[in-house]
Amino acid sequence: MDAHRQASFESGPACCASCAADQPAPLDRVTEPAIGLLVDRFYAKVRNDPELGPIFDRAIADWNLHLATMRDFWSSIMLTSGRYHGNPVAAHRKLEGITPQLFERWLALFAETCGELFDDSLAATFMDKARRIATSLQLALFYRPEHDRPRSAQ
Amino acid sequence: MTYVVTENCIKCKYMDCVEVCPVDCFYEGENMLVIHPDECIDCGVCEPECPAEAILPDTAPGLAKWLKLNAEFAEVWPNIVAKGEPPADAETFDGQPDKFEKYFSPNPGHGDGAANQVKAEETAI
Repeated sequence: MDAHRQASFESGPACCASCAADQPAPLDRVTEPAIGLLVDRFYAKVRNDPELGPIFDRAIADWNLHLATMRDFWSSIMLTSGRYHGNPVAAHRKLEGITPQLFERWLALFAETCGELFDDSLAATFMDKARRIATSLQLALFYRPEHDRPRSAQ
Repeated sequence: MTYVVTENCIKCKYMDCVEVCPVDCFYEGENMLVIHPDECIDCGVCEPECPAEAILPDTAPGLAKWLKLNAEFAEVWPNIVAKGEPPADAETFDGQPDKFEKYFSPNPGHGDGAANQVKAEETAI
């Protein structure tokens, strides 16, 4: 990969006019480098996001460590590498100000990043996993069984 | 939403699932494993790893009994994160009918105590 292509992958859609006309081909399979690109670019967006940025910056003391952890997480999910071991439910329970709307924002940025780097099929594969995990975390964080009961039964 | 360990795990207990689970949500009984429904993040990584095809999403039909059993025993059996030795006669029992009625044991397995210590310390994402 030449310098322009590398810069384009790492910093955004196009670093200069030359790159805009010469975008890297979308990636079509899961590899460790692909996961690395996704994680780095996605969390750069997160940190710049007015809604998500402050939540993450309050929660993450060491971004390099967090990015490495997230590479391990997605490697475990997409390549069954078994590198990540943790408790995401407990980690998210500790976050102040977390709402279902923030999960939607997270998913929108993740979809945007997948769309920039991957072909449609690979982006859909990542998004399927991301949506399932987001739904599962939200059930763990926000679900209250009493909300399922009809009003007349309460 | 969660994944659920079902009948064909009983007396097979291959344990390939525990090696790939990113959130360490398997718990070990004497002759089967269960998934803690509040810890599973529905990633689905374990499903294709099970040689006995005993792990299913809870959206599959007819799993109410197994979802209840997983939830109940995940609270009392020990956590397991490292694959142990499957029963020597596991293949003999793979696919047998009525394994729950014939063989299910509510007794706990050994789990892995050392790994539990790591898990307790590793709550940061």
